[in-house]
Amino acid sequence: MSAVQRARRIIWIRRSVQVVVLAAFLYLLTANRPADGAAPSAPVDLFFDLNPLVMISSWLATRTLAGISLLGLLTLVVTLVFGRVFCGWFCPLGTLHNAVGSLRNQFRRVVKRTEEFSRWQRAKFYVLVALLVMTALGAQWVGVLDPFSLLYRSVSLTVLPAGDIAVSAMSNGIYLADPHLGPWHLRDLTEPFYRWWQERVTSTELRVFSGTSAVFLIFAAALLLNLVRNHFWCRYLCPLGGMLGLVAARPLLRLTSDPAQCNSCHKCTLACPAAAQPEKPDEWLATECFGCWNCVGSCSNQGLDFKWIPPLKKTSAGTVDLGKRRVLTSAVGGVAALSMMRITPAANAKTFNPALIRPPGARAEPDFLQRCVKCGLCMQTCPSGGLQPTWAEAGLEGLWSPVLVPAIGWCEFECHACGQVCPTEAIAPLPLPEKKKVKIGLAVFDTTRCLPFAFGRECIVCEEHCPVPDKAITFEMRDATDREGNVSTIKFPRVDPERCTGCGICETKCVFKDLAAIRVVSANEDRHPDNQPILSGGYSYEDSGNEAGETPYGY
Amino acid sequence: MSDSTRRDFLKTSALVGGGLLTADFAALARAALAADPVPTMSIARWDEAELAAANLTAAAVGLTEAAIASLGGMDRFVNKGETVWIKPNIGWNRRPELAANTNPDVVGALVRMCLAAGAKTVKVGDHPCHPARQAYRNSGIAKVVEATGGRMIYLDEKRYKDMPLGGEFLKEWPVYLEVAEADLVINVPILKHHGLTGCSVAMKNYMGVIGGNRSAWHQNMEACLADITRFMKPRITVLDAVRVLTDHGPQGGDPDDVEVRGIVAAGTDIVAIDAFGATLLGHRPEDIGHIAGAAKRGLGTLDFASLKPVEKILS
Repeated sequence: MSAVQRARRIIWIRRSVQVVVLAAFLYLLTANRPADGAAPSAPVDLFFDLNPLVMISSWLATRTLAGISLLGLLTLVVTLVFGRVFCGWFCPLGTLHNAVGSLRNQFRRVVKRTEEFSRWQRAKFYVLVALLVMTALGAQWVGVLDPFSLLYRSVSLTVLPAGDIAVSAMSNGIYLADPHLGPWHLRDLTEPFYRWWQERVTSTELRVFSGTSAVFLIFAAALLLNLVRNHFWCRYLCPLGGMLGLVAARPLLRLTSDPAQCNSCHKCTLACPAAAQPEKPDEWLATECFGCWNCVGSCSNQGLDFKWIPPLKKTSAGTVDLGKRRVLTSAVGGVAALSMMRITPAANAKTFNPALIRPPGARAEPDFLQRCVKCGLCMQTCPSGGLQPTWAEAGLEGLWSPVLVPAIGWCEFECHACGQVCPTEAIAPLPLPEKKKVKIGLAVFDTTRCLPFAFGRECIVCEEHCPVPDKAITFEMRDATDREGNVSTIKFPRVDPERCTGCGICETKCVFKDLAAIRVVSANEDRHPDNQPILSGGYSYEDSGNEAGETPYGY
Repeated sequence: MSDSTRRDFLKTSALVGGGLLTADFAALARAALAADPVPTMSIARWDEAELAAANLTAAAVGLTEAAIASLGGMDRFVNKGETVWIKPNIGWNRRPELAANTNPDVVGALVRMCLAAGAKTVKVGDHPCHPARQAYRNSGIAKVVEATGGRMIYLDEKRYKDMPLGGEFLKEWPVYLEVAEADLVINVPILKHHGLTGCSVAMKNYMGVIGGNRSAWHQNMEACLADITRFMKPRITVLDAVRVLTDHGPQGGDPDDVEVRGIVAAGTDIVAIDAFGATLLGHRPEDIGHIAGAAKRGLGTLDFASLKPVEKILS
């Protein structure tokens, strides 16, 4: 079998692998939909466990390996042997870029100029350096640009909800209009599909996220940049690609060319998605190459092939000169960016944002931000849809990290899914009985709205929904007088700060939908002793009727 | 069924004949009522002495079957080929032992009986306060219903339609279309304490077929529940008092608030069932605003004993 024939076979294997991996990524994303139980059972964070950038940045930020998956080492070993095949064969975002690029190639002739190596491709290394420097100083901003975080966040927070709205609108439209021809109803076709969609793909309750237009625009831009250059994202920007490129500088499997066979036709240049200079003998760039085998398959003269090369042999590869000064500049840029993000009172614990209610088990803010990679797994799995991406609540440093917005949804008492799915343990994976004890905030009444206080009407909805078995909202019987002077004795609610966990269901269910008459603030959150106004003591959680240590969901 | 109808006819004819002879029409009416062999209410109890040792799953099934049998069997309510909506209380993400949701085995027994009576489809669903998936699963109801051949339906927020309740307080309110379209709705509440109304039984359970801002109903629960009850035209109500929530209702969460009572009641008069439930929790029905209010509005009677419930004791 000639090198070209073998390459073409390998290219088909690669494409199959790419499709399967992308499908697996999307499957695990949908498997992370709100669970029937207290948490999803599938290994929904597997892709993040395999991501060495998340592994190294988490370690750099926290200086500990506790709670950090070491599966990323596997990816690094594969990269040392085969080069950046992770980018060319595995990365689901890379596969999407591939798809958009192929589409573009159908309509536009690929020209040599745009497919030759550009010195701007070094940008991704500088992005990587800046991000890692920030991380080493304690700000995990890697997640903003990490390809898995970007893809997961974009699909789960924008693409999937949009799809859900479209499917729901069509299915409900057909269901309600019920078009039929004699005994044949169109809804007999659409209803089973809709049920499958809701129960296996999205959720039975529509979940939508606020402030996600920026998330979508960045995702769309990353894909559309393929119109400028094939795999623009992977070539120029991707910090994970940059890291793997550095690791892959001298892989065991390298592209070799036979200068005698080259007639400078540049078919390989045009075939290379990475601009890795396959056309230049001895100057092939291992830091750029995705190991996709396109070049080998494109050569009419069988002049190219991948061959095993002893690791220490320095021939057969070009190098990208990063430049000491540029690397230093990037590092300084990282320090500058970090400092600018931190010049706010909130970032220095001078103030606490009452709206910054973190999920239960979230570490104290600096520690939390060292770990959170803004991937969106917690938001995707939250059954009430209350976990939302931040926009300004946590400052630029905490962009797109999870915040509970009780006006949208609450923290479900019998659920601990967010901590179970978090890939970096920014939200600790608490057992359910432990999670039930965690205070994430405190409910406070707005007596200018609350019906008994403001209007003399009975209500009790907040108390009814309070999940604490012996109730964090209690009543005081008081007289209320109407305009005619009639006096009636009604229930006035009051919050018991010892028992209130700040779960927020009272706010979600409050009869006021524009601005609830009971609202949860971050005060009293367990993770910040300085944000606890209520002196507490004497109350034991186990006395409250909660069953510590018991496992629910026996059914 | 046809036999007893013929017998009724003969009896009634005889009485009418006699009545015409004596021309005592008042006595005739009384006699006709007394001769009515179709019970309107039944109560099945598990022998109290054996309750502590009872297998509650088997007990719940047995009690439900006994209560429906005493009422004349499911055939009386379900016709062949009909679609039945069973409306348990699945309001909360709570396990069965905490008595916040209807007992799953009571629901399962009803699904089986409806299918045996020839129902084409038996749908089970509620509009929970908690996430539906978790509530359906943790309540144990989804598992039992799937095993017995019923279908769990997740309510879709787009499928509530404004319906003309034409009530004294509510003229219009969104009701779930599929429930309104069902041939028969079987209301299967669990008996619970309730922080506002004192107790939550069958009428309160109708809050799971409506959409809109349900929370607002708490400002006039009596009128709202009367209006939805009149709209729903209940034909059969099955009360689950196998486990009862005695405090911190309607959600509960503390096993100490749960009492095992081993009772299932069924009847055609929803107010009588509610009144019976109230007495089980130690209330006088007249003290429970929405139950007394419904009786005042002519939706049923508080005096359930006057319906001469057929009682059965199982063990």
